Amino acid sequence: MKKLLLLLSFSGALFLLGGCWDRTEINDLAIATSAAIDQKENDQIELSLEIFLPKAFGGGSAQGGQAGGQGITLVISQTGSNMADALSKLQGVLPREIFWGHCKTFVFSEAVAKKGIIDHLDFLLRQPDIRERAYIFVSEKKARRILEQKTNLEPYTGQALLEQTDFGIGMRVTMQELDEMLVSRMQSAALPYLKIKTQKKSEEEKFRFADISGVAVFRKDKMIGRLSEERTRGLLWLRDEIKGYTVSASPPGVNGVVSVNPVSVYSKMTPSIVDGKWRILLTIKTDGVIVQNSTPLDFFNPTSLASVEAALQDSIETRVRESLEKTQHQMKADVANFAAEFYREYPEEWKQVENHWPEKLSEVEVEVDARMIIRSQGNLILPANEKEGGEQW
Amino acid sequence: MEKGKISSLQMAMILYPAVVATAILLVPSLTAQYAKQDLWISPMLASIVGFVTIFIAVRLHQLYPGKNIFQIIEETIGRLPGKLAGLLILFFYIEITGEMTRGYGSFIVNTFLKQTPLVVTIASMVFLCAFAVYGGIEVLARAAQFFFPLFFIPFLFLVLLLSPYFQVHYIEPVLADGWVPVIKGAVVPSGWFAELFLIVFFLPYLTDKGKAMKYGILTVAGIGITLVTANLTALFVLGPTLPTKVYALMNASHYISYADFFENLESVTMAIWIIGAFVKISAFYYVIVLGIAQWLNLSDYRPLIWPIGILIVEFGYWSLPSSIELARFESRIFPFYSLLMQTTLLIIIFVIASVRKKGRKKLGLSE
Repeated sequence: MKKLLLLLSFSGALFLLGGCWDRTEINDLAIATSAAIDQKENDQIELSLEIFLPKAFGGGSAQGGQAGGQGITLVISQTGSNMADALSKLQGVLPREIFWGHCKTFVFSEAVAKKGIIDHLDFLLRQPDIRERAYIFVSEKKARRILEQKTNLEPYTGQALLEQTDFGIGMRVTMQELDEMLVSRMQSAALPYLKIKTQKKSEEEKFRFADISGVAVFRKDKMIGRLSEERTRGLLWLRDEIKGYTVSASPPGVNGVVSVNPVSVYSKMTPSIVDGKWRILLTIKTDGVIVQNSTPLDFFNPTSLASVEAALQDSIETRVRESLEKTQHQMKADVANFAAEFYREYPEEWKQVENHWPEKLSEVEVEVDARMIIRSQGNLILPANEKEGGEQW
Repeated sequence: MEKGKISSLQMAMILYPAVVATAILLVPSLTAQYAKQDLWISPMLASIVGFVTIFIAVRLHQLYPGKNIFQIIEETIGRLPGKLAGLLILFFYIEITGEMTRGYGSFIVNTFLKQTPLVVTIASMVFLCAFAVYGGIEVLARAAQFFFPLFFIPFLFLVLLLSPYFQVHYIEPVLADGWVPVIKGAVVPSGWFAELFLIVFFLPYLTDKGKAMKYGILTVAGIGITLVTANLTALFVLGPTLPTKVYALMNASHYISYADFFENLESVTMAIWIIGAFVKISAFYYVIVLGIAQWLNLSDYRPLIWPIGILIVEFGYWSLPSSIELARFESRIFPFYSLLMQTTLLIIIFVIASVRKKGRKKLGLSE
């Protein structure tokens, strides 16, 4: 009798093993891969989601041409008074439950960014199933159009943007990092800026694609301007985020250009306050490999190596200065996060300028100490175009 | 009544998750709200409460060997006041165990099982714990011993996997606003350290009473180190956004991503939490039923398990209207409530007891 009861209770427990209220089957989910937020009239916003189409993916290899571009994803939009409202309307038109776990790209249109993004961010950060690691972008025109672009190598735009960002040429900002920028003392932020570019495929066929070009600069949570690609590089040197990007310079007195790939970059900001003057010493140490040399310089000669290094250092310094000129002085946005540096070293002095930091920021003097060390010159000892001095065979 | 015996090490393995389980998820952001980047100093200050609690509990037990806490209280402050104090302690434990299960339940419901009714998560956990309590102290100890590595090692892994994302510079400047915010921040974790009061219920059942002090102190040190680690991990990953999060380590674990597929590790955090919560709730549940049996001089505590279980579920479900209220309770009320009912009470009893003992010795009276 006792055994029978035990057996019954165990079998009863089997029914619980299937899970209960929260079971979700994969075929009940609409997997969102990217999201876009656009501004509409009357303070309305439009939320667009790129939804993964499982059928298109499954049959992709058999039907060949199906995969790529819109074949694999679907973009749908709804308008609402805020994110939550638009999302609930979106859910209303979808037969499956929206799943956020794979949504790794969020695009805000410039119009939204100019009005302020903090309210939208509140929604995104509040949901437990939206990833803090998702990348955030600002798009020049309509954000929905970014999602609609065709891609060639990657299955859909969201994925293409992710891979491109990971490559490290532009800026990379995750939702968590954006949140950190917005709540921290710098009171400003920078997000990668997307443009839609057109390239001719053939005479009549044009190919459009989303391109990361520069950054959008924010004061508090409102976009106030943008930096060109060149100035973005300067910003990346400042923020110690530069990766896989070639520096070129031509040494004084010679024709041609030497290009170097940074292998490792280390940059550091050292704040100092002397006699009420706020200063930042920026040290950038770069180890590089020569990838192209169109000058006649022979690097066995230490002086010519040093002159190339000096020229490269100047080029890095110019980049950084140009980008600071724009952000620090014109926009008064602390995108390089000087605030944290000063607060760390001088918490007492910081408290006095806390309330008027953007004004104080433009008074901060920046000294750039760029150091470039060439570690290797690739597979060539002498330049390919060497003419003078070299013996002819 | 309880014939089982456990070792001091097993006791330490019950006490460690009993304090840490809820603390690692809630303490980092609650402490950060006051102490900001100095939040790692706060648990060190708070651990003083733990050391005091352990020290007094073990000393008290040495003064009255073989007696349970209710007998000790009755001997020191008299029968009626003693019974009243005992009732207060028991009521406190039923209430906070309810709140603990509520914390567990609302964590599960808020982050994972959003459609599941809260009462289901609470009741199923209490039901499970009831079985562990039914097994007695030895089963409880064995379960804790079994779960300890399952609790501790994933936590270490979580910290290790997060370490590449550490932005160590967030720790500076140290003590920019002086000691006051740090001390304010220490109040919250000290409420958790006061929970080490549980040791008084386990001391009479130790096989190696001589090691109780040593393992007690080790437990406090272990908890202190764990909380400092958890706080630093959350700070290094989340930086200035830390005070805005409810479950900081949970948000931090979202951040792990290796090779594009080894990610979404919040289920690990959830597993740690559930294992810890199980040991924690079981330990408190056991202490409540054992305590009531001792307080009423019953011969067995087992008949009390089911009715008390229902009470715990009631307290968990009805005592707080929302998870906002729960967070407020955890940060504003619980630390003081916990310190008052556990450490402060213990200090008072200890002072009275040692004065009385000394007085008796002076008069030359035997026990």
